[in-house]
Amino acid sequence: MHIPMNNRLLHTLTLILTLNILNAQFQGNNLLEYQHGELPGDTATLSSLYDRASLSYKFNSVKLSANVEQFHTPYTDRNYVKLSGYTLNYKTKPIELNVGHFYETLGRGLLLRSFEIQGALLEDISYRSKQYFHRDIFGANIQYRNNNFTAKAIYGKPLNNLYPPIFGDTIRRTDIIEAAYLEYTIMRQTIGGAALRLTNRNGAATYGMFTLSGRLFPWMSYYTEYAQNVNDPAFALSKKSSSTLYSGFNIFANNWGLSLEYKNYNNFILGAGINEPPALVKEHTYKVLNRSTHVVQPISEQGIQAELYYSFANGSVLTLNNTIAINTLAKELLYREYFAEYSFTLNGKHDTKLFFDYAEDPFKLEVGRTSAGAYTDWQILSGSVVSANYEFQTFRRTGVSVFNHVFIAGYNYKSKFNISVVTESSTDGYIMKNNETQRFWFGANAGYKINSNNTVTVFGGQRRGGPACQAGVCYEVLDFAGVELRITSRF
Amino acid sequence: MRIITAIIISIFTLSTHSQTVDNFELKNIEGKYISYNTIKGKKLTVIDFWASWCKPCMKAIPELNSVYNNFKDKEVQVIGVNCDGPRSAAKVEPLVNTLGIKYPVLTDMDKTVMTSLNLSAFPTLILINSANKIVWIHEGFSPGDEKLIHSKIEQELSN
Repeated sequence: MHIPMNNRLLHTLTLILTLNILNAQFQGNNLLEYQHGELPGDTATLSSLYDRASLSYKFNSVKLSANVEQFHTPYTDRNYVKLSGYTLNYKTKPIELNVGHFYETLGRGLLLRSFEIQGALLEDISYRSKQYFHRDIFGANIQYRNNNFTAKAIYGKPLNNLYPPIFGDTIRRTDIIEAAYLEYTIMRQTIGGAALRLTNRNGAATYGMFTLSGRLFPWMSYYTEYAQNVNDPAFALSKKSSSTLYSGFNIFANNWGLSLEYKNYNNFILGAGINEPPALVKEHTYKVLNRSTHVVQPISEQGIQAELYYSFANGSVLTLNNTIAINTLAKELLYREYFAEYSFTLNGKHDTKLFFDYAEDPFKLEVGRTSAGAYTDWQILSGSVVSANYEFQTFRRTGVSVFNHVFIAGYNYKSKFNISVVTESSTDGYIMKNNETQRFWFGANAGYKINSNNTVTVFGGQRRGGPACQAGVCYEVLDFAGVELRITSRF
Repeated sequence: MRIITAIIISIFTLSTHSQTVDNFELKNIEGKYISYNTIKGKKLTVIDFWASWCKPCMKAIPELNSVYNNFKDKEVQVIGVNCDGPRSAAKVEPLVNTLGIKYPVLTDMDKTVMTSLNLSAFPTLILINSANKIVWIHEGFSPGDEKLIHSKIEQELSN
């Protein structure tokens, strides 16, 4: 029987794809953001469109994935369409191999930390280009692991995301790393060691690291990580050496838990910033406090952080935090912060949070910084919640008092739909324009979850920029006035 | 034309094919590697991806404790996957203890499992059946969602 060429192709294709369905998985997600508005320094409104599509295809032990990023504005020097990531992953116990773009953190990040802040976009004020907020490594890594033993080998070029994708890898990936990591667990104690060689245009340097962690008692665990340049005297921890120590203890009982951490960082910014020692400064979700977060200075920072959680019989939770950080730069700067938060539920359905924070931040020239606020969620009908949040902050800078206020009112129906209005005001001289004595921001957000795979969010109005911290990483957000539409999809 | 149509139909079929969860291993909060296959539920498994800095995640945890208590005898397991990074990882164990989380909590500092499952929001809750297929994904948490989670589990158990 004669079968036309087109039909044979059709049947073959259908057969292959049908067989694929049995074993293979094809999946992806997409983030699209459209903005029309004004950014700082712009003299006219601007439209921009950012999109990131991620696709992956998995067949048995092999997974292929790729990300395509694009950004479009009326200015061609900001625009790009780029295959910004691709990876071949092979995983079969006890081995895992990645070739291409991947993420890897050694220990708590003293030597190497890469990350992806999912859903976050980075827009820099210099180049005015927008990119996905991540810092990956391009190269290869392989891991072997059995019950008690882990070994890793890494070779690659970490991304310097201060440069947007309009630049090539010769500018964005100037560091080359070669690293090996070994870890062994015995009697609930884990000992690890790593060596990392960093090569860039300044030459080459080798760093060593060891970790020790485990449980001393059922109610106490610990973690210690130490790293240094191998050419420095062992365990120097002096300002003349390149060395760093992080250590933490956890103690807990029935209804309370205490976390104690210590840091001692000296001249430990590696390459273009391939590492990120733990900050040991609380990352707050409250707007005024998040914006005020002390950013760790690995060039010289010593300090402690203690955080206590206490759960009451009625389900309410008290959180207390104390942070001390000393930076020895041109002079010694002492950062201190005391934070308290109490969260409780009224009548079994109205959630309330109260917080108070006091800090001295000489790094930002902020004296007597006092912040307080209340967050309340009132369940009015089944699934319908009305929220009212207020935050206040005051401090003195160079003898001048500054006041910040935030008020947010919102409504949400389950996780399906939400709407909120955000008003902010500030008397901060650093952000005033012309002869202003006070500045106001007014904006509204709305979000609608179409189904479990698709969500639409809209913002309209003015948004206050400034420092922001998310998922442990701090960055700068630009002021914005206009309309923003964001659609996230998964398929 | 028919070839193009076949490709489009096939890709659509592929894309709507249920996602499955392959066995993975993560450290628990005591630092011991745990395999998903050894702790998953016989009938259903609920995995909650959360972080200590995420406010809705904190609201969801008491409700997930209720889910665990209500369904543990019906061969439904709840697993928490904590995705705190190095900055806040030290706080996870005291927090788990203080909040009285009854179900197993694993840690995934690099979000490898979350990324491999194509998930990107906190909290995200997924419901997995006995064939390892993801039958439901729920992002975010707001009061009222707990009823939805309970009813979805009941519905899947009755299937």
